[in-house]
Amino acid sequence: MSYPFGVSEGERDYLAANTVHDVMSIALPTTILDNWQQGAKKFEWVDIAEKMEKDSEDIVEKAISNAQEKIKTEEKALPSKNFNLEGFRADVEYRFHGLLVGIAKRLMTHYEQPKRALTEVTISNVDQHHEGRLDAALEFYQRQYGVLDWKTNNMNQASTGGKDRWQLVSNILLANYRYSGDENNWDKFRFGAVIYHQKAYLPDLPIQQDWIDKVKNDRQFAYEVLCGGRPYTQKPQFCPICDKGGESSSECQFYRKDSRLAYEGKLPPEYARIRAQLIKRRYLVLDERAETHKHKFVIQTMINNFGEKTALEELENTCIIYGNYRLDSVEGNSVILTRNASVDRNNAITFLEPRKVVRIIGREEDIPLLASVSEKGFVKEVDDSKLVIDLDGSIAAERAKQQHSTLPLTIIPDEINLTRRVLEPMHRFHKLAAGVMLPPDL
Amino acid sequence: MRLLLDSEQLRVLNWRTNNSDIAALEGPPGCGKTTVGSALAIKLIAEGIAKRVLLVAYTNAAANEFGWELFHILGPSSANICIRTGNPTGVDPTLPIPFSRSIDIILKKRIVISTNLSLKRLPTMRFDNMIIDEAGVERIEHLLWPFWFGVDRQAQAAHRNQDNASAQINDLMELISRCGTVATVVGDPKQSRPISPINSDYSAIEWVMKRSHWDTLRISHRLPDRLSGLVNEFANYDGLKSAPEIAPRRLTVEVPPDIEYRDIIQPDEVVTWVDVNGNERPMGPTSWANELEAKACVKISNHLSKIAPKKTKVIVTRFTAQKHIIRNYLQRTGDYDTRVTTTTGALGTQADIVIFSLVRNNSERNVGAVGTLQDLNVAISRSKEKLIILGNFDMMLNGWTAASSVSHRKSPARNLARLVESKYGKIIDTPRVLHN
Repeated sequence: MSYPFGVSEGERDYLAANTVHDVMSIALPTTILDNWQQGAKKFEWVDIAEKMEKDSEDIVEKAISNAQEKIKTEEKALPSKNFNLEGFRADVEYRFHGLLVGIAKRLMTHYEQPKRALTEVTISNVDQHHEGRLDAALEFYQRQYGVLDWKTNNMNQASTGGKDRWQLVSNILLANYRYSGDENNWDKFRFGAVIYHQKAYLPDLPIQQDWIDKVKNDRQFAYEVLCGGRPYTQKPQFCPICDKGGESSSECQFYRKDSRLAYEGKLPPEYARIRAQLIKRRYLVLDERAETHKHKFVIQTMINNFGEKTALEELENTCIIYGNYRLDSVEGNSVILTRNASVDRNNAITFLEPRKVVRIIGREEDIPLLASVSEKGFVKEVDDSKLVIDLDGSIAAERAKQQHSTLPLTIIPDEINLTRRVLEPMHRFHKLAAGVMLPPDL
Repeated sequence: MRLLLDSEQLRVLNWRTNNSDIAALEGPPGCGKTTVGSALAIKLIAEGIAKRVLLVAYTNAAANEFGWELFHILGPSSANICIRTGNPTGVDPTLPIPFSRSIDIILKKRIVISTNLSLKRLPTMRFDNMIIDEAGVERIEHLLWPFWFGVDRQAQAAHRNQDNASAQINDLMELISRCGTVATVVGDPKQSRPISPINSDYSAIEWVMKRSHWDTLRISHRLPDRLSGLVNEFANYDGLKSAPEIAPRRLTVEVPPDIEYRDIIQPDEVVTWVDVNGNERPMGPTSWANELEAKACVKISNHLSKIAPKKTKVIVTRFTAQKHIIRNYLQRTGDYDTRVTTTTGALGTQADIVIFSLVRNNSERNVGAVGTLQDLNVAISRSKEKLIILGNFDMMLNGWTAASSVSHRKSPARNLARLVESKYGKIIDTPRVLHN
């Protein structure tokens, strides 16, 4: 639902922010966990952060070279014309340091060292039509867990208008599903935290029921819109994007004005015709996108009806998913998976072909399949026993090595999200048409 | 430079060189759409009409074909002005055109080849002209990315300053055209349909043909006379014919086929339908396979490798599952060279010999997706010398598809069966060697 009008890019650059996300995804389970000091005192916070930062130098270096690689191939990744590597490095280190202080200050003071940390966990709760990606989950004794969200772009907590809270609650619901199979089961939940620059937001527990209801209602609204329904629209009393001039606000304002003029019948008929055509095509693209999620529904429906073990066996037999892989090694952006030698080689009908988009799922014990750790990539090479999958950069490959190397792997088909690729040019032409065809006084 | 074009191709080349608009070029199989597209790109650069030209295709196979065509025309110097970009795994590693995703390198080249999906990675640059291939499989919205690369900011600004600008533009394409985009949209709506949530949705090329000028090529440089006749009548191309030097072409073999294969391979017969009666089985949610047909394909292919080792072969089927089974059997026999593809993947490709596995065979006589005009048309029009169809003949003659359930007489599958039987080919029973 993020891009129903094709407004896909904000006005700010995300390169440094994304790089810090990459750094955190590798550093949290390693250097941050290793240096965790429960009950850290006020005068120790900066020292702890500096120690973690020092231990993470290699990770930062790797993430920066990964970002440089992106800049080489995607001009759009360039934050500004005045980009220089040293400035970029300093920016990344500054943001990273801020998050580390935030963790030392607000998490280490209250919580013991977690047993395990997982990062960038995609969770699909198909039954509730809810999917999202947790920045991190911390696991404690007796399977208790905490949910973390990094704010690497917006360093000022006060300027967010409170929208981060809804994202956190939404992620906590997904984490509940991951750890108990039920989003309403709060037994093992310990905390949720949004980590900002040198600070953090931890909502009081228990999480307020009206917050949970709001997330669920909005989720239902999005689902009904995507299903072609016409749910009653309620503009929030306060919208941090539109009312406060947040990211993407000019695009958002453009469509609001466009819709208002159309409603009032003030648009020239030629422009109105083009506008209607573009809006219609956008909804068709959303319809098509719904199709791309169908394999997840097939898998979940089978699991609901037959239990996970039987369902997965059947799905493997009918070649909808592929099991019995293990992560063998990592080379650059690629992970090399090998298949258990005892698997029947005759069963070679597979969707695993070069360029097919797949999700590698590490099968964790007592965790629903579609909530287990996973990475998305595309098939580079495939033969009977070996599968090479290209991931989105070397950091993703490193993360896969950390999180998947001890787990049996299942490969399921996934789809490229075509929505942005198709909606973005529609958005551009929509604005172009408005710019050329609307009289200046409108 | 080596370039031989027929009169129709020359006509199109001159038409597109002298016009700065968006137009469509419809090209039946083998009529040289890719050749004309590549030649047009070179002509535009050579004559200084365009500084930079974009060649776009929906599939990597077709994008690679652009690269090969440019190399054939320009020779080694093609490496100096052309670049292939996109997803590296989709690039033909033997392609003599350099590949790069580096912005600096792409900006230095005059002709850029890419798939539509990879366009978003291109740096901000403007192309004076573009050729968009395989527009039959795309929808309107898929054309918008390439079109965006043609928008001229100055033309756009000039138009904005005009009084009553809105009234002069009645349509999205008119707007795009007035903002400076110059494009030739190439494709064949009878070879492919767009994948769309609405069944009756227009393909991108149909959309352009409805709104702008278009032309059709009608001389096939791939299909020999019997095949061009079959394809012309089957898809109703209204006059598709073979180029004179291609018309009499027949399969040549180095040693005569074994007696069991003689009826199937007989070189003088361009189209042979082997009436195989294997059973279909569902594979996964939307795919089907037919084991007996798969084995038959492999046996015929292996024998052809023995008697005509220099000939290129491709096995085409509608279903991915069947493709995998066939490929698996081929690899077991040590054949890693014969290409196996689905009808979608076969777009833009050709081979000396084509073996087409129909797969569907059931008591309900449901031909399903294999019976669509576009899929059948693609499968029967890839071959330069010989087409071998494998499948239950009666099933095709009397079967039905969802699209033709009212009157099976209009079914494309039935039409194909009738044309092969009555005029353009030979139906033979399954020889014993293919029975198991």
